[in-house]
Amino acid sequence: MASLSLEHICKVYPNGFEAVKDFNLEIADKEFIIFVGPSGCGKSTTLRMVAGLEEISSGTLKIGDRVVNDVEPKDRDIAMVFQSYALYPHMTVYDNMAFSLKLRKTPKDQIDKMVREAAKILDLEKLLDRKPKALSGGQRQRVAMGRAIVRNPKVFLMDEPLSNLDAKLRVQMRTEISKLHQRLGATIIYVTHDQTEAMTLGTRIVVMKDGVVMQVDTPQNLYNKPANLFTAGFIGSPQMNFLDAKVLPDGGLDLGEAGKVTLPAEKAKALLDGGYAGKTVIMGVRPEHLNDDPEVVAKSNSVLDAKIEVYELLGAEVFLYFTTNGSNMTARVNPKTDARTGSEVKFAIDVDKVHVFDKETELTITN
Amino acid sequence: MISNQTIKLSIDKLKTVTKIDFSVRNMEGYMVASTARMEEISVEAARQFAESPADSQELQGYHFFKVMGEEVPEYILIAKGSGEDVHMIGRIAVGQLEDLVLAYKERFDKNNFVQNLILDNLLLVDIYNRAKKLEIEPQVRRAVYIVETRNERDNSAMEVIRNLYGDDDGNLITEVDEKSIILIRRLDDEESYEDLEEAAVGIRDTMNTEAMIDVRVSCGTIVNEIAQVSRSYKEARMALNVGKIFYSQERIHMYRKLGIGRLIYQLPENLCRLFLKEVFTKQQPETFDEETLTTIKMFFGNSLNVSETARQLFVHRNTLVYRLEKLSRSTGLDIRSFDDAVTFKIALMVENYLKYMEKHPS
Repeated sequence: MASLSLEHICKVYPNGFEAVKDFNLEIADKEFIIFVGPSGCGKSTTLRMVAGLEEISSGTLKIGDRVVNDVEPKDRDIAMVFQSYALYPHMTVYDNMAFSLKLRKTPKDQIDKMVREAAKILDLEKLLDRKPKALSGGQRQRVAMGRAIVRNPKVFLMDEPLSNLDAKLRVQMRTEISKLHQRLGATIIYVTHDQTEAMTLGTRIVVMKDGVVMQVDTPQNLYNKPANLFTAGFIGSPQMNFLDAKVLPDGGLDLGEAGKVTLPAEKAKALLDGGYAGKTVIMGVRPEHLNDDPEVVAKSNSVLDAKIEVYELLGAEVFLYFTTNGSNMTARVNPKTDARTGSEVKFAIDVDKVHVFDKETELTITN
Repeated sequence: MISNQTIKLSIDKLKTVTKIDFSVRNMEGYMVASTARMEEISVEAARQFAESPADSQELQGYHFFKVMGEEVPEYILIAKGSGEDVHMIGRIAVGQLEDLVLAYKERFDKNNFVQNLILDNLLLVDIYNRAKKLEIEPQVRRAVYIVETRNERDNSAMEVIRNLYGDDDGNLITEVDEKSIILIRRLDDEESYEDLEEAAVGIRDTMNTEAMIDVRVSCGTIVNEIAQVSRSYKEARMALNVGKIFYSQERIHMYRKLGIGRLIYQLPENLCRLFLKEVFTKQQPETFDEETLTTIKMFFGNSLNVSETARQLFVHRNTLVYRLEKLSRSTGLDIRSFDDAVTFKIALMVENYLKYMEKHPS
């Protein structure tokens, strides 16, 4: 396995479109790195540049200690798994997995050993004689993974490999991939637009937007300490609630008709030190940090008034949807709540968990 | 011609079963393949048999046979030994070699037919006659794909395509240059253009993962008659060219989704130059600096939304407005207005097209 180094990587297409801008990242050996972001953010392009399927316009790419900018894909010692796992329809699972090795003129006995080892890891041993038609979606995806594993590469590149699967199977395969990473001890770069996949699989996540890296961090840090408004909104489901707020002279936040928020001293100081007093900022609060428990509300000095528009019971939790100052808001509350559609509800804001963003730069002022 | 290696492989297998040595000579008497040295059989002896009217002959303890291909002798097979058994085994070997020759010819003929079909080198009547002879169904839904590799390809690309879309399913595969593989896919009755695109993505991904080759895949429209295949091929070819010029960041180019790029591609170059001259009376686009070009692209990318563009460019809104006004002064086009934005966008595409054509005059 190997480490990777991406230094000032850019991708500009002949028509001038800049798909990736100054991408910098060090990936350690055996790391599971996730590239996440909305469509068109440049995550797949970056992955394809690592694979060698896309030329790098500028910057340096290293796999281990070797600069591979001009190395052909087949000589980079990588393997890829894509969303569309087009298996050879007339070949058995065994032959599908062996095909790329045959193309590389690998000796037959070695092919057999590698295929059987991969089949064992993926629990495909009993399916080796079957043709793709006789396999389920998940099994087919496992064969596609097997095709990558048999190469015994330094780095695995996966581009939305689970997107073709239904929700249930996706959850199952997510666990499989996680186990696979542990078993193989491989360096994996995984592209997805699904933030749940990103949060559950990655040791570190690279959040991208418009070809720019917005933040690189562990899943926990991305969730708790987003560096900017985009990351805050992208990571977490339901997404973080945002409200425009005016900074008061004491460092508190004025939400207009919705109420006032008294921030902890440290956060208030950060706002005042940054010269934000009297300016409009964006307050961010996650749905689970809005509490409708009357006891908590009674003790809180930061309360939000709301009229519930939609009540959604999910079994273990309830989502309450409402509008405040023209912004759509969501609260994730205990299923024992009395709130229903049309109820007037007071929410206590957990001020320790409030995030404040600069309205112009959209960067975090305080987490 | 069928390869010597294939013939050798075939007679080696026969020897393993029958324990009889074989030699295959061409019609001039020279060695093609052999399971043992048969020095006592001279080139002259083999040639004499080739020129004789006999189908088979026993000579100096060897059986000589003619291997026919479409009623014309193609090779001479020599089986070591005398007697009825060797003669019979020799006949079986001849049968096997004749099948090989026939299969090869059929394949060669099919390839030749497909190449001429897509390049419009056949008369209509010949298309149907030859298709019938080659057992190609004339009235079937088909679509043509072109798979173009970034560099000159090796065998692996063709291997991948052949394994994905084999001849057995009624697909036809050929090549017309070092970089392109042509796939004429037989389609199911229900297959839609979305399915066609999905298949194109599958081809690209399999090429990427298996052969580890970067490819562009283009696809023409669906045709129902074999005679229309050349139209689908031309569309796929155009889709590939238009895609490379206007949508270079994409790898899948469907003819039906080429949009305005196709329109511009079909305009004569002098008309395009004239159009550019008319639009850019003051400043030509090639003189725009990097900052201006980025601003324009970002502004178009954000559907002429000033605030969003400013945010993405990390500049103040007023800075962006200043840049757009400066552009308006230098070109006479204010891209904040819809009409000017359309003209500007088309003009940039036309300029892109002309640049590409200058670089690739062929």
